[in-house]
Amino acid sequence: MGKGKLAIVGVGEVPTGRYPDRAPWDIIYETCMQAVRAAGLDKNDIEGVISVNPMAQARLSSEIGFGKIPEELGLKGCNDVCICNAGGASTANCLRLAEQWIDSGIAKTVLIPHVTVHSVLPPDDLIAFFATAGMDLQWEYPFGTTYNGIVALMSQRYMYETGTTAEEMASVVVALRRWAALDPNSMFYKKPVTIEEVLSSKMVSTPLHARECNVLADGGAAMVVTSWDLAKEITSTPVYKLGQGATYMSASAVLRDDFFTREAWRKTTQTALDEAGITSNDVDVFEFYAAYPFCQCVMLEAAGICDPGEAGKFIMEGHTSPGGKVPCATIGDAVGRGHTGSGVSIANYVETARQLMGKAGERQVPDCNYALATSAGGAYMNAVTTIWGREPQ
Amino acid sequence: MNDYRKPIPQIQPWSAPFWEGTKKHELLIQECAECGARIFYPRKYCPECWSSNMGWSRARGRGRIYSHTTTMTGVETKFLEDLPFVLAIIDLDEGVRMTGNVVDCDPDDVSIGMEVEVVFDDVTSEITLPKWRPVKK
Ligand SMILES: [Zn+2]
Repeated sequence: MGKGKLAIVGVGEVPTGRYPDRAPWDIIYETCMQAVRAAGLDKNDIEGVISVNPMAQARLSSEIGFGKIPEELGLKGCNDVCICNAGGASTANCLRLAEQWIDSGIAKTVLIPHVTVHSVLPPDDLIAFFATAGMDLQWEYPFGTTYNGIVALMSQRYMYETGTTAEEMASVVVALRRWAALDPNSMFYKKPVTIEEVLSSKMVSTPLHARECNVLADGGAAMVVTSWDLAKEITSTPVYKLGQGATYMSASAVLRDDFFTREAWRKTTQTALDEAGITSNDVDVFEFYAAYPFCQCVMLEAAGICDPGEAGKFIMEGHTSPGGKVPCATIGDAVGRGHTGSGVSIANYVETARQLMGKAGERQVPDCNYALATSAGGAYMNAVTTIWGREPQ
Repeated sequence: MNDYRKPIPQIQPWSAPFWEGTKKHELLIQECAECGARIFYPRKYCPECWSSNMGWSRARGRGRIYSHTTTMTGVETKFLEDLPFVLAIIDLDEGVRMTGNVVDCDPDDVSIGMEVEVVFDDVTSEITLPKWRPVKK
């Protein structure tokens, strides 16, 4: 798929949570300045800005899309600006477009920001946005579909076919929240849950309990990326993109033969690993952005770590939790981090970079040389798997 | 009947025959006259061969539940009066798959593989939604 020669050299992030007093531009300033400073660069070294489109915030989206960020931040060396929207896969596209700008000489270094402020939006507007975004207005929405409903349909069938139990599904949340409990930027920092607490939470859409669904939150992050060659000069801890696989499935779940999306993930995982020249045994941390618990299971199975249907058991045994032999989703995915629209995906790449930089604090996976990161948009419209590493190869 | 507050389908010119069918309490499936593909949801051109020569055939109105969920909360205000409601994916005997609601039964009795039949819900004078109920043994 074109190996590219992209490297992450700096990241910035604000804590995820409900902070109605923190305006979008507060977050943009803070995360972008953090990322540029962490890269050891001057603001005028940034030659391109490619933003993740914020969901459900039309005004902010058009301000950013029409070029406000370089102007606000005074990025005097900026050559071009753009916004990318592919839902939860927006960040993957920002990274790929940055790679093209860098390869073609448009920009030597690119800033990739994201911001979401849900807490100031009326709850009914948010429900309405997430009820209709990604849903077909003719064939799904009139029947009361929501994101939770669609994923409930997938989870129900997954549990039926694999025999995965409610306790095992709840244990996915337990594992994710154990990671989140170690993450000062999570809204669930120091707040782990038990299987009993997950199963006793309100039923939202069978089989999904409230604690298996996402809590909407505010947040933001930024990354600075550059070429492999320049990365080595800029920082002692560059994070190299080593391989990637991508495939489109369908916008509507109902049109998907690969209903669990497992085969799509298997294919993109293999392509990414092959391109990086490694196997899944070499991967030290699996940064799955799966958005819901059942898909953590599917991704583990697709990566060949577990046989189909065995992932729930594996997760319940603690293998993906802190200290486990296969650390997965070390910010706790959307369930553990808080859902920031298109932002969970950038948070996942930021964490991938932190793990490989050795800057993941209490969540640090020892001797972390290779990381696998996933993203998907819409209601699992696509699958993007990327391998990142500490050394170019 | 005109106080229906829930969303009605946003109909396209090429899907209009489907909704004219439901209004007459008939379930129609789009079929490509070139390649024979049965298509759901209806498209302007055949997604298999890009033919514009599209026709319709009447479905038997029977199928089986591929998956289902009972929604208890987390919906827009306009859906609150329906809670709890069953959302399901139905595999029709004709080989296409649809999203819909299962009605006329206790949500706890719905299961994967259950045989269902179409039932037409005239929600306004213009719009009839196809819904599904368990086939009585
Ligand atoms: Zn055709």
